[in-house]
Amino acid sequence: MRLHLVDYLILALYFAFVVGIGWVLKKRISTSADFLTSSRSVPLWITSLAFVATNLGAQELVGMCASGAKYGIMTAHFYWVGAIPAMLFVGIFMMPFYYGSKARSVPEYLKLRFDEKTRAFNAVSFAAMTIFSSGISMYALGLLFQLVLGWSFTASIALAAAIVLAYTFLGGLTSAIYNEVLQFFLIVLGFAPLAWFAVARAGGWEGMAAQLPEAWSHTWKYASSPAQNPMGVEVFGIVAGLGFVLSFGYWCTNYLVVQRAMAADSMAAARLTPIVGAFPKMLLPFVVIMPGIAAMALTKMDLGYALPTKGASYDYDQAILTLMAQFYPQGMLGVGLTALMASFMSGMAGNVTAFNTVWTYDIYQSYIRRGAPDSHYLMMGRVATVGGTLLSIGAAYLATLYNNLMDLLQLVFGFVNAPLFATFLLGMFWKRATANGAFTGLVTGTLAAAATHGLTLAEGKGGWLGVLHEFPSVMAQNFWIAIFAWTACFLVTIAVSLAGRPRPESELEGLVYGVTPIPRQTDVVWYMRPGWLAAVAGALCLVLNLMFW
Amino acid sequence: MWDLRLPSGLLFVILGALLSLMGLLYPNARAPLAETNVNLVSGILFLLFGALLLWMARRAS
Repeated sequence: MRLHLVDYLILALYFAFVVGIGWVLKKRISTSADFLTSSRSVPLWITSLAFVATNLGAQELVGMCASGAKYGIMTAHFYWVGAIPAMLFVGIFMMPFYYGSKARSVPEYLKLRFDEKTRAFNAVSFAAMTIFSSGISMYALGLLFQLVLGWSFTASIALAAAIVLAYTFLGGLTSAIYNEVLQFFLIVLGFAPLAWFAVARAGGWEGMAAQLPEAWSHTWKYASSPAQNPMGVEVFGIVAGLGFVLSFGYWCTNYLVVQRAMAADSMAAARLTPIVGAFPKMLLPFVVIMPGIAAMALTKMDLGYALPTKGASYDYDQAILTLMAQFYPQGMLGVGLTALMASFMSGMAGNVTAFNTVWTYDIYQSYIRRGAPDSHYLMMGRVATVGGTLLSIGAAYLATLYNNLMDLLQLVFGFVNAPLFATFLLGMFWKRATANGAFTGLVTGTLAAAATHGLTLAEGKGGWLGVLHEFPSVMAQNFWIAIFAWTACFLVTIAVSLAGRPRPESELEGLVYGVTPIPRQTDVVWYMRPGWLAAVAGALCLVLNLMFW
Repeated sequence: MWDLRLPSGLLFVILGALLSLMGLLYPNARAPLAETNVNLVSGILFLLFGALLLWMARRAS
């Protein structure tokens, strides 16, 4: 693929805008809260788009398109069963506690609700996770640009990291959030024409469906047995593993996304952030998954385009860039690449800004240096921004050296994330849950995840403790690991809590359902109330599920 | 709070103008599978979106 001057010009123009936004917002920073949490000042429409954009990293974009080619429209389960219900739930039921408790971060909420050790467990594992996920994403981007454009791996990641560092260092979280919205617009407008033209060329939805096996054009019809669908999963695994544990675990407890809602300028805006974000989120499959399905259909149509191969199978990760080369002339090609770069940056900035806050408030201020003046923590926030970026680059290089290590790390993150939702669910909705119960539950849940992986096998992965069961696909194995981890954490937390002494109710006000008044949000017009808007979003999501049944 | 619609609108208007110009100047510069003037169509879409953002920002101020 060859780029021209105009394509580079577009990329440079985008760089100038994102750094410019950081520059303009620089003068708003005078305290550590301005830098790390935006001092709760960002308008709703911005936080809600940033909430969606921060998850729309390059790995997500490339990966969803690849999954579209590999599994068809079933990939939309990650949105229509996964993300949407969880986003509505966090807005309605959990945000009153995150925002109302005045906690500055998710780990800090755990400290208020439980104790220091639970906070430390979450803060340290989360900080490590942000660095590694940003590194893995950087590695994937560098590799793709090297493969398709012939760019140097080092130069691509250094350039992208330098730009992200520049605008997050200048304007902190506000700058990251503002840029995420600009990046979201670019991603959608940069890829929507590709989806449109590619699907049209493949004969529209009907044409694509005719080219591909029938399971590619249905979300639920072939989900009753793993043998019937390309994902190798079944209804219970999808609904309980992906829809409940993994998605609720991610959208409801991951500070990376929750931080965007906590930056909102009012309780109503914080609650509405994920709910309003659910509307664009549920339409994203049309932009990110459809091109993948079209790529597969076009490959079968013998029009001169074929998905590149790797060994005996297709190299699905190349779907999005190779498709761009087939439809975008110079000019729009520059926009497409800029959109890919933008998606990478929104993901990376999300990780870096979540990392610097958790590091500064939950680790540095809590365990290393307490009671310093605020200017010291502002300085530390800036140092952590640089440190987080450098560590991410280090993680990207580590990935080039040890490919399997990255697989392992991603697996470990899965172990840590899956049980967390049980801890939050019990912590927020059951006042009897105790700190020791939460901590023991988390540790047991993590071990249960590891044990499930060790005792089961899927596509050659796992089974290091012996094989009790074999799953038809790694995806099915992941869903079931999540189910076991969540259940173990849930049951152990209850058992240990019942054996211990509960905290007095007066200490739980603002933290737990039942002892906290839930705002009715009568300060906003009726059609913008969380419950009503969530019902509309839920109904639309149901319609999408039925349309592609 | 600074209105983000201004810089976003401006970026899309510039990109839209650039793409439309490319589409008008080189209507035959097509990628292998494209059947339409992708630059022109996308350029107009970008221009409209950018103009909408600028109009909303202006109305709000």
